[in-house]
Amino acid sequence: MNKKSLRSVFLNGVLTENPTFRLVLGTCPTLAVTTSAKNGVGMGLAATFVLIGSNAVIALLRSLIPAKVRIPAYIVIICTFVTVVQMLMQAYVPELYESLGMFIPLIVVNCIILARAEAFASKNGVLLSMADGLGMGLGFTAAITLIGCIRELIGAGTVFGLPVMGPSYEPMMIMILAPGGFIVFGSLLGLANFITSYREEKRMLREEAEQ
Amino acid sequence: MKKIKNAHEGKGPTREQPTRAYSPARVVIPVQLHLGAPSEPCVKAGERVRLGQVVATPMGGLGLPVHASVSGTVTAIEDRIQFGGLPVRCIVIENDGLDEWVELTPLGDVETVPAESIIPAIRDAGICGMGGATFPTHAKLTIPEGKHCDTVIVNGAECETHLTSDFRLMLEQPLRIVDGLRAVMRALGVERGVIAVEDNKPEAVAALMACAEGRAGVSVVVMPTKYPQGSEKQLIKAVTDREVPAFKLPIDVHTVVVNVATAAAIADAVTLGKPLVERITTVTGCVREPGNLLLRIGTLFQDAINACGGYSQQPGKIIAGGAMTGICAPDDQVSVGKGSGGILVMNVREAKTDQEQPCIRCARCAEVCPIGLDPFLIKYYCDHEDYDGAEEHHVMECMMCGCCAYICPSRRWLTTSFRTARQVISARRREEK
Amino acid sequence: MAQEKKLRLSTAPHIHCKQSAQTIMLDVILALLPCAIIGVIYFGKNAARILVLTTLSAVFAEYFSQKVAQKPVRIRDLSAVVTGLILGLNLPPTAPWWLCVVGSVIAIVVVKQLFGGIGHNFMNPAMAARAILLTSWPVRMTSFVYPQLFSQGVDTVSFATPLQGGSATLFDLLIGNVPGCIGEVCKLAILLGAAYLLLRGVIRWYIPVCFVASYLLFARLFGADAIAGVLSGGLLFGAVFMATDYTTTPMTARGQMLFGAGCGFLVALIRSFGTYPEGVTYAILLMNVATPLIDKYVKVRMYGERGRAA
Repeated sequence: MNKKSLRSVFLNGVLTENPTFRLVLGTCPTLAVTTSAKNGVGMGLAATFVLIGSNAVIALLRSLIPAKVRIPAYIVIICTFVTVVQMLMQAYVPELYESLGMFIPLIVVNCIILARAEAFASKNGVLLSMADGLGMGLGFTAAITLIGCIRELIGAGTVFGLPVMGPSYEPMMIMILAPGGFIVFGSLLGLANFITSYREEKRMLREEAEQ
Repeated sequence: MKKIKNAHEGKGPTREQPTRAYSPARVVIPVQLHLGAPSEPCVKAGERVRLGQVVATPMGGLGLPVHASVSGTVTAIEDRIQFGGLPVRCIVIENDGLDEWVELTPLGDVETVPAESIIPAIRDAGICGMGGATFPTHAKLTIPEGKHCDTVIVNGAECETHLTSDFRLMLEQPLRIVDGLRAVMRALGVERGVIAVEDNKPEAVAALMACAEGRAGVSVVVMPTKYPQGSEKQLIKAVTDREVPAFKLPIDVHTVVVNVATAAAIADAVTLGKPLVERITTVTGCVREPGNLLLRIGTLFQDAINACGGYSQQPGKIIAGGAMTGICAPDDQVSVGKGSGGILVMNVREAKTDQEQPCIRCARCAEVCPIGLDPFLIKYYCDHEDYDGAEEHHVMECMMCGCCAYICPSRRWLTTSFRTARQVISARRREEK
Repeated sequence: MAQEKKLRLSTAPHIHCKQSAQTIMLDVILALLPCAIIGVIYFGKNAARILVLTTLSAVFAEYFSQKVAQKPVRIRDLSAVVTGLILGLNLPPTAPWWLCVVGSVIAIVVVKQLFGGIGHNFMNPAMAARAILLTSWPVRMTSFVYPQLFSQGVDTVSFATPLQGGSATLFDLLIGNVPGCIGEVCKLAILLGAAYLLLRGVIRWYIPVCFVASYLLFARLFGADAIAGVLSGGLLFGAVFMATDYTTTPMTARGQMLFGAGCGFLVALIRSFGTYPEGVTYAILLMNVATPLIDKYVKVRMYGERGRAA
């Protein structure tokens, strides 16, 4: 196996294997909390914090955790960080804490975190795992912030709470309701697939030309 | 199930045209006029032959003898392109116009001849299914061990578009048809014989009824006019209310079906000892004088068309048979065969094939399918070359009637795709064996 | 001869019925015309503006989305015109211009083209667009007025439809002297369109008849005024023009009867027990989604296969 650089691991999480658009993981918070851009950022950063922390600890303990009970062990570690995040948010951003509500404790079962623990942190060193956590976390944050922005813009006429569409704009309410989440997520997923296949095609053409 | 109501289409110009006999200057007789092994020519170039003389003998299997359809001189025995674009050995005979018959040996009246002599006479006369399938009739009438037959149906439905040759035959020579039916009934020892005609041919029904009067077990049944009423399976359902199970033959529901023209040929073979050398063919479409011709087997399409005044417009497509199931001729140098009920000439505009449009799921194809298939679904599998899927949805039970492709508002080539699928699946099955 | 070289070879059948997707759509447009004309007479020039806007923007949306997707442009099949017109007839006569444009774009781009274009959409585009508009701008979508023809000068005030608690006689319901969407108020015009479609063989009776019959049955069962219910809201319009959309309805006669009966049941259910006064849109959409299931289990009996009837 070739040696991974911190930089490539980080970029992998943000772009190539973006958890939302490429791996399609963690779709529950993606659909549920993206009613506004602010919620998206809050959720994303909370998940990032948990990801970095749990990845780091799991990487540290990876040789100590018996393979048979690794999933419960990972969950315990993840739970710890989620509880930390929950308490921090309750203390310092109570407003955001209120609006995210149930979805903060539910970070425990966000499959991005468990998936990275299983697929990456359990096989790599601490620094690399933290870089992976940061990359994945920021990729997730960027993705759901984008979805949040679009839904908030169309569904409420604001971005991060600031009105941008002018006073005569009548918000399209469905976008901040559940169907809007599916419509925006589906469309962006389609767009991401289109871009990926387009780039793939171009790369293949280039390789053919080189040969 | 909705039925397609196009059975009247195109019949107008020829329906009232009495049959005219036409004898060309030269005939080109392919040695394979029937479904089965080709026969072997037994005459040589330069030899003089008489009308009705055997010019090719069967080579085992389902073979049938081929007879000279004119008297004259054999000028060549050569390969010529026929339907399907493949070369077939053909016997070319220059007509001397004398119509000098070979010596014929009549068996006698159909009601008195020994029953066991009928089927050999049918074989020796070279008779095969004249409705288009050209399956050797003697083979059809040989009932396999363990099966029995209780009804003989003579198919006078003529549900195809444009064709009126069977109608003219029924109208002009009903006695031959009834005689032929009696001959088949006697040969098979069957008590019930039915002549089935669509209700758009009342004159033919009247003529047949007059002849059937007093003949043992013969009745005439009038059926509603709808395509594909004349398909064996539909016909049996309409007459006897029995359904032929998938991949089974009519004999499995105790019926035998013969075309009206075949029945008439059988009557000739028995009462006169005449072999099958001519048939009535409808020549219609873009010809100057559409009509019904009594043509010698082996007449070139070009001669038949010229006998009807020639092309009236630039021809775009020449079809042997009707517009729903007929096959395209590669040019007009092909021969009239024993199953050629019609020659239909389409102009360039009619011959145009439409582009396929996306399916709009209107369900019309499923509605008209006489078998009850889901053509749109089979077509989906065919388009994705998933022939296993197509087979699973019973593409092999499709009878190629063309109803779905006819009705499809998106002009999808349903029947064409199914034909390809069936060929691929049949080839696979052969490979497996 | 040279001409033989040009003979075309193809497989049977060599003839084709005259109907095409385009003529079918044209028939639907003709059948919609009575509703559209009556709508314009009843509700004035704003109704005309709405219909023109939805139709034009549907056609433009179809054209541009097919161009962008580099697919063959098929606006000539007129299906976009039908979608736009049906959507327009389903809007209240007070709808602002942007509601029409957004609705058409959603119907064509999101519901139809994103799922593969004509024949591939799993929901009726006009219906789905109406549902999205209804959820997004509930007030705009339910600002109904009485037809101007019968009550001059009061077109700025919103009234409750009979389903929302307004009152109307059966005769008013029949001729359309009630507040409602442009196309759905005059039941006589709808019946005229239905008769035309049935006579032309564009639609079969299975869905509309089963729809109405099942509604009558279940509405009575749930204790509602069934006859007035049939003549209220978009039930008839939906049964005739929207529940009969080819693409999103079952393929077999029995499947279509089941589909219609399901629609009627759901409408009765939503109207009697739901929070919406009107349930036609959601009933049809729900049955649209159930269509693949119905098609899977309800098949035509095949020839030669006794007893396969499912």
